[in-house]
Amino acid sequence: MSAPHLDVLIPLLLSLKVAFCATCLVLPPGVLLGYLLARRDFPGKSIVETLAYLPLVLPPTAVGYLLLRALARGGPLGPSSLGFDLDLLLTWKGAAVASSIMALPLVARTARGAFEQVDPRLEAMARTLGSRRLRAFCEVTLPLARKGLAAAAVLGFGRALGEFGATVIVAGNIPGRTQTLALAIFNDIQTGREDEALLLVGLTAGLAFAAVWASELLLRRKTAK
Amino acid sequence: MIRIDVKVPQQDFRLSVSWKTGERTLGVFGHSGAGKSTLLETLAGLRRGASGVIEVDGQVWLDSSRGLDLPPEKRGVGYVPQEMLLYPHRDVMGNLRAGSRRAALRAAATRIDERRVLEVLELGPLTRRDIASLSGGEKQRVALGRALLSGPQLLLLDEPLASLDLPLRRRILPYLVRVSDEFGIPTIYVSHDATEVRVLSSEVLVLSAGSVVAIGPPDDVFTADTVLPMARAEGFENVLRGRVVEIDDATALVEIEPGLSLRVAGHGLELAHEVAVGLRAEDLLLSVARPTGLSAQNILAGTIDEIRHPDQAVGGGEVLVMVALGRGHARAVVSITRQALGQLELAPSRPVHIIFKTQACRVLATRRSRRV
Repeated sequence: MSAPHLDVLIPLLLSLKVAFCATCLVLPPGVLLGYLLARRDFPGKSIVETLAYLPLVLPPTAVGYLLLRALARGGPLGPSSLGFDLDLLLTWKGAAVASSIMALPLVARTARGAFEQVDPRLEAMARTLGSRRLRAFCEVTLPLARKGLAAAAVLGFGRALGEFGATVIVAGNIPGRTQTLALAIFNDIQTGREDEALLLVGLTAGLAFAAVWASELLLRRKTAK
Repeated sequence: MIRIDVKVPQQDFRLSVSWKTGERTLGVFGHSGAGKSTLLETLAGLRRGASGVIEVDGQVWLDSSRGLDLPPEKRGVGYVPQEMLLYPHRDVMGNLRAGSRRAALRAAATRIDERRVLEVLELGPLTRRDIASLSGGEKQRVALGRALLSGPQLLLLDEPLASLDLPLRRRILPYLVRVSDEFGIPTIYVSHDATEVRVLSSEVLVLSAGSVVAIGPPDDVFTADTVLPMARAEGFENVLRGRVVEIDDATALVEIEPGLSLRVAGHGLELAHEVAVGLRAEDLLLSVARPTGLSAQNILAGTIDEIRHPDQAVGGGEVLVMVALGRGHARAVVSITRQALGQLELAPSRPVHIIFKTQACRVLATRRSRRV
């Protein structure tokens, strides 16, 4: 009887690991992008904006395929171009990278909203009080946007958790190695293991619920204060 | 010494200011949109695109001919914008100490003591309070304290009283006077209220549509032909300075110079206080003979200096009579009608008396005499 439980546990843990790493990967560029879009005017801003939001509308399989081509031998991020192997194809790390790219638009959009709610003149104020640009950002803008940024992280985590299309193309669907919850559900349905599929669906729904609820809670508390 | 010689392109006009002064309490007066705030932002380093020179006590902040333009954090200003911009995520003490790192670096040069600032601005009881729970006047004092405690070389105050209601203004004004007395930091004070600027400044610059209209001592500037019509929008207010020499139960006698004194409502005043008294030009009566049998307590002798018809061009009937009081150091502007001018046959150098009630005197600011 212990076998089915283990079957559930392995994709669950893998999913959490992939989603966690994807969140860590996507936060720095996502937050930076959100900040730039909220605060700076630069040539080509609308192009950058559109490109960053593209993964939101493109089929995930298309993004996955582009990533696969880039990472393949001869691609711009392939072993022959870089001189070393990033070791992303058919690994859980590849799943994390694919998920982080899919989560980028959501993280950047939420971070942008968080920064837009902070009065930019507060940062200017901090600079007149003697803080350099980066310190002023850390002293004023970051703490004031922290709840919105936390919500961005939770949403990014949730998006990475449910990622399927790009992951299956880059990382494959190898049980125990790259088979996340989303992939395991697909697998169970394909092989007719309806009960197991339902169990995994319930588990995923629980995690997704918790993530979205947490982000709503964080965002709402920000507006309340 | 402060030297400002800048040009700042604006959307609708170009701000162009040239000002060199050794005075320490400077006022900038003008209507809204004249470029006052832009000037302060330029001094703080928050406006890009300014060209020219800014030099404060030997330190050059801007010299566009040499490509020098210090960022705000290197300029050492204590900037209090109109909106105050307190940090909402920190309590009062956290706000007051926001610039303490720089203050520590400049401690030897500034010697501003935290305890002293808390005392002068009466912030002691507020230190643990949340910013959101403060009243307008309290916020204003915190913003002022934060600027002071950052060890500034120059204080920039943008309409510090504009967002406050009238009674509160009269409570905050003395704090501003005290700050300039106590800490001796050069201050540029911006306001569209002529009386405030006159109480707080020893030199005033008047801006209109980005250009300098007048620069000089407040009493000269605000009676200048170019400035008088601007300052008169809310009615011209005379500001006379003197010392409390006598107190009785309800009134105080303020001596402007030996032989020239006013009786004002006395509550809150103490002997030897130095005060600034506001007197509105339309609250003053003019008489060619010394009147007797009046209840009014103030009858001051003087000589007509000048008679002006500031709004003759627009067909107005108001006439402004400038009267030199006592030995002639103090002046008062009296507003009368054209009819009265004709009936009394007023003319320059004619001796007159100005008459006003104790209640017409508005005590604007008090400071303890430094000689006590």
